Amino acid sequence: MTHPGELISAYMDGELTRPEIEQLLAHLDGCGRCAAELQQVQIVRSAVRSLPRLELPAGLILEADAGLVPLHRNKGLLVGAAAAVVALVIAIAAILTPSAATVSLEELNSRYGARASLDPAFGPAKVVVPNLAELLE
Amino acid sequence: MTESVPLTWEEVARVYGRKIYNFAYRLTGNSDDAADLVQETLLRVRGGLASYQPGSFEGWLWRITRNAFLDDVRRRNRRPTAPLPDEVDRWDLASAPAADIEYSRISIGDDVQKALLELPFEFREAVVLCDIVGLSYEEIARAVAVPVGTVRSRIHRGRKLLRESLT
Repeated sequence: MTHPGELISAYMDGELTRPEIEQLLAHLDGCGRCAAELQQVQIVRSAVRSLPRLELPAGLILEADAGLVPLHRNKGLLVGAAAAVVALVIAIAAILTPSAATVSLEELNSRYGARASLDPAFGPAKVVVPNLAELLE
Repeated sequence: MTESVPLTWEEVARVYGRKIYNFAYRLTGNSDDAADLVQETLLRVRGGLASYQPGSFEGWLWRITRNAFLDDVRRRNRRPTAPLPDEVDRWDLASAPAADIEYSRISIGDDVQKALLELPFEFREAVVLCDIVGLSYEEIARAVAVPVGTVRSRIHRGRKLLRESLT
């Protein structure tokens, strides 16, 4: 038997034509393997879709006139010079700081500034939830 | 949203900046790389808007985004993508209301993000464009420059691989 596996995801995404839907449903009727696959895929799909939508980092400038410049490029020699300065500062800090280095919340924010947001307005435009009960009858 | 075509760069930045950031973040698991990609993509959009021909704006925008991403990968011969650090969400949720509930939810998110990063790029990209960005298969096909049937196949195989690595 040929299993129409790829139709399963496309079905959930609302990407099947009417004949394809009928083909899939007819197949699912007699194929426990594909019915199980549908459930598995549905779980994964929901898990990915419910990942938190992240806010843009606060420092990211999105104004056309505000000197939009890629952060890590075209800096040439400056990078080397900056690295030397950073190393020096770290060395001095290590001498002056009695305990191990700690990281402030502000530093964490700027380093990993991706704040979780559960804003539903940002979700995918289209969510098609298949009627499992109907499918698995 | 696909119906209204943003005409100015500012509108593109406002409407799509966050989506581009989320696309890049889920693809790389890295907030610095994601921020870089937003900037690079918007620069390219600014350069290309004048010659944009009305059609599929989403397809056009995401093709630019994807190409910027791939160029960046090539240019930097990048380090392997790192999983999302645990500190991020713990820190973020420390002060959030209902922290316990959200924490369990986002811990699951960590696993999903790690599983995404383990996917071959073509599958990861297709899944992210579909489930994170919310594009149709047709729009993904335009963005990635492959037939719709290939998109369909990549999304399904990607989800099955995700399922395996999450089990």
